[in-house]
Amino acid sequence: MPRLVIDDLEIEVPKGTKVIDAAERLGIMIPRFCYHEALGAVGACRMCAVKFIQGPFKGIQMSCMIDAQDGMIVSTTDQEAVDFRKRVIEWLMINHPHDCPVCDEGGQCLLQDETVSSGHARRRYPGKKRTYRNQYLGPFIAHEMNRCIHCYRCSRYYQEFSGYRDLGPLQIGNRLYFGRFKEGRLESPYSGNLVDICPTGVYTDIPARYKVRRWDLQRSPSVCIHCALGCNTIGNAHYRAVMRVEARMNPYVNGYFLCDEGRFGFSYTNGGADHAQRPWTSKIGGADVTVEAALAESSSKLSEIAAVYGPEAIVALGSARNSLETQSMLSRLCRRKGWLGPVWFTDTAVYRKVRSAVERLDSGIAVSMREIEFADFVIIAGADLLNEAPMAAIAVRQASRKNAQIVVIDPRPISLPFEFRHVPAVPGQIERCLGSLVKGSISKEELKGLDSAAKGFCKALPAKFGDKESGISIPELADQLMASRRPVIVCGTGIVSESTPALAADCAQLLRESGKKAGLFYILPGASSFSSALLSGPDAKGFAEILSEIEQGSIKALIAAESDPFRDFPDRERLDKALSQLDLLVAIDYLPTETVKRASVFLPSSTVFEMNSTFVNPEGRVQHAERVHAGGVPIWGAHPPRIVRNFIPGGDHQPAWEILWKISAETSVLESVLTLGELIAAEMPAFEATGKAQYPVNQARIIPEKSEGSFVKPKTRPEQGQKPKGFNLLLTDRIFASREPSVYADTLEGVFPEPALFMHSEDAAAAGLSDGDTVSVGLEPGSIEVKLSVSERMARGVLILPRQKGIEWQRMKDFSAWIALERIRKI
Amino acid sequence: MAKEKSVLRDLLDDVMGLADSYAVTLKHLFRKPITEQYPDFKRLLPARSRGRIILTRDPEGEERCVACYLCSAVCPTDCISIEGAERKDGRRYPLWFRINFARCIYCGMCEEACPTLAIQLTPDFEFSKYGVLDFLYEKEDLLVDHQGKNADYDYYRHAGVSVEGDKGEHINEKPPVDVKSNLP
Repeated sequence: MPRLVIDDLEIEVPKGTKVIDAAERLGIMIPRFCYHEALGAVGACRMCAVKFIQGPFKGIQMSCMIDAQDGMIVSTTDQEAVDFRKRVIEWLMINHPHDCPVCDEGGQCLLQDETVSSGHARRRYPGKKRTYRNQYLGPFIAHEMNRCIHCYRCSRYYQEFSGYRDLGPLQIGNRLYFGRFKEGRLESPYSGNLVDICPTGVYTDIPARYKVRRWDLQRSPSVCIHCALGCNTIGNAHYRAVMRVEARMNPYVNGYFLCDEGRFGFSYTNGGADHAQRPWTSKIGGADVTVEAALAESSSKLSEIAAVYGPEAIVALGSARNSLETQSMLSRLCRRKGWLGPVWFTDTAVYRKVRSAVERLDSGIAVSMREIEFADFVIIAGADLLNEAPMAAIAVRQASRKNAQIVVIDPRPISLPFEFRHVPAVPGQIERCLGSLVKGSISKEELKGLDSAAKGFCKALPAKFGDKESGISIPELADQLMASRRPVIVCGTGIVSESTPALAADCAQLLRESGKKAGLFYILPGASSFSSALLSGPDAKGFAEILSEIEQGSIKALIAAESDPFRDFPDRERLDKALSQLDLLVAIDYLPTETVKRASVFLPSSTVFEMNSTFVNPEGRVQHAERVHAGGVPIWGAHPPRIVRNFIPGGDHQPAWEILWKISAETSVLESVLTLGELIAAEMPAFEATGKAQYPVNQARIIPEKSEGSFVKPKTRPEQGQKPKGFNLLLTDRIFASREPSVYADTLEGVFPEPALFMHSEDAAAAGLSDGDTVSVGLEPGSIEVKLSVSERMARGVLILPRQKGIEWQRMKDFSAWIALERIRKI
Repeated sequence: MAKEKSVLRDLLDDVMGLADSYAVTLKHLFRKPITEQYPDFKRLLPARSRGRIILTRDPEGEERCVACYLCSAVCPTDCISIEGAERKDGRRYPLWFRINFARCIYCGMCEEACPTLAIQLTPDFEFSKYGVLDFLYEKEDLLVDHQGKNADYDYYRHAGVSVEGDKGEHINEKPPVDVKSNLP
């Protein structure tokens, strides 16, 4: 570990640390433009010059290019270095326009800060400034090339880090230009990071364009709830509206970056551009009432129903976007009041998959997203990372950049921003493919060293997996897996069979016992799926089962806490009929869902930006999101009224847990437990270990050291005989357009992918269909009309239907279906 | 070395002090009075004196304010609130601009901070009203149709961001780089 002295302060840093990072550890921020920890050093901007007084280097050197070494004495304040940096700034400012007042970066601009701190204020160069024409880069990013200082951060991020090729440098020398060859929307779903990474205002975000300065923003650390990963964000609010979401560096979760869905999908909390889309006020039977009246109404109706029909006539629904506080309250109320539920999942099969995933994770085997970046072999089984968990795809790309082999076992037409081997296996075949790959990687010597359970499991794995169509040799991949040291299995919980998550855990365990540092990462369906699985018993019911009880009339009241069965349940007609039989439908939500529209009593709840909340990510990491602002109807877009008021319009919302507690009329809930931390710990024993006294808990992991029930005997043969004929129609997620908060965010409307049904090209040819046809998929009764998109890179015999806005998939009747070929007709 | 004080000298000083002040009083008895009979007579104040605030226009007649938020940031009493917006041609402007003159202390920091010379203080200091809400001035009340103290300055001729027309048409700019040509 080299020891060096920077500005008379001594520090010891790990080998390979750059001098610029060593100084940062001491709290000395050396000015920089091109250097970024995630992108590495290129030494292009010459801004981080410091003086090396003693050691292997002497004189002015770039601190980002030199590794810290023993005996170095470095001065950042030496006059020579200060003068050097001042000249660099003066060069950079030669062509920089005089436009800070109309630039959105002003106030958060690295160039502005460093120009001011260098003392450069007078232009000495009499020549003219270079100019460029701008490009249209899509609905998220505004481009102003005149401001560019040629640091290459954008192209290094965009091409090297995120893996897309459509934005990069053109021309040379003083004419260097960063942009696309032809203007148009950026292809990368991670384009928003350009705004964060650009040291000046070349890329600025359009949703907050011209609206606010950094110093006026209310900022708080928050957590993204758009998918399960729990990326860390900073919420920025002004004038009662969330203006911007920025990435917050978390070295274990998202690193420095964020995907566009999480970054730009915040407008649901403002009620869209016209602020009218969010339900701001409480309602009874559709008419606006005060929040007290709605609370009293639901509370009295609930106790009435409990008195007449018994408490089990009341069912409580939760969802994957509930905070941990809400989930704990729901769970406690259901237990104490005798209500049915809480029901977290619409599909019981998904619940069982998530539960087996949560049960099998232990701290030995679970990896964080950051640890995926260091894997040398990644198996992605039954997960479409770009669409289900976008930031996980970026993590796997970092592994791929370090020459890791990536194998994707999935029937969908997967596209990922890196090279990978795709085995297009149908859902029933994923397990066999994964099993044979892992089995092939265990050498005979390794097999001998295993204990009996592991040995038995390994022997029971299928030996061969024939996949002639994809042309991918599993034995060859197995050999590569055998040679790897740190393999990671990324397992989905969406389209896979119920036993797959457990099998993936066993495979990872087997690899671990054969001497590798194997890891496991699950892709879960929603932001709080992990905690909902922890909170429910082994035989918890999905909504589909509860619905039949509603139909029978044994359930009279339904409390939907931030849950929308109309969106999630695949049979809208049946749901419609069943819910109209209810005596009481209480909806607690912040989104304008169908359930909210039909509710007999509606109560507005707070979004993640308006309350303190906790979420657990798929590796069991508890993360706390702080309240950003008080909320209310934003005052954007028109003159604020000249009225003196003592309340906030639209400020009726409360955290869902608080509403639940109030309508339950359960006074003792907060009497027996004093704090939210104790409430959560009482419901969730795993939380206890993190120390409830220190609520809010942040960044603690709530997974056991050792999980139980490993090495379940795998199925060796595919189930035969009862396989239905036709195409297996699978419902999947799609980036921007299928997850719940995103579909209500009008900022994302410009990038919604076109609704499409995916089909293998040969299957389509056999059916006489071609790409771009509008087809009708016949169901019994009814049909879904959608555009067909054919692909060669997917499994045969399946149809992929994204659960996205613009497709009426709620006519499906069930979560998956078998469609005969003749029922797919061109129209 | 302490000098011994002369009693005679002290006496002389005292007499002179009295005589001087009487002389000044006597002199002013015969001067023309300089009291101005405000409000019957209103004196012309220097242009730089700090009274009611206005928003000026550039020589083209466009409003100068670009809603950069510097005035509201620098304002020690937080009396300025703005919402910026984008005009159809891309020009940045304030959708609304409100000054609460009941709070304003006429310190002139906003004028100093303004990079486009839009916000200016005028010599109009007679500024009293019966209701506090009457002191809320909106953009329509603040905006004037002249250039104020700076007749020539047009920020958008220097800015380097094109509003209408091509890049490279502002003062001191080269024509835009053609990124698809190899010619120097």
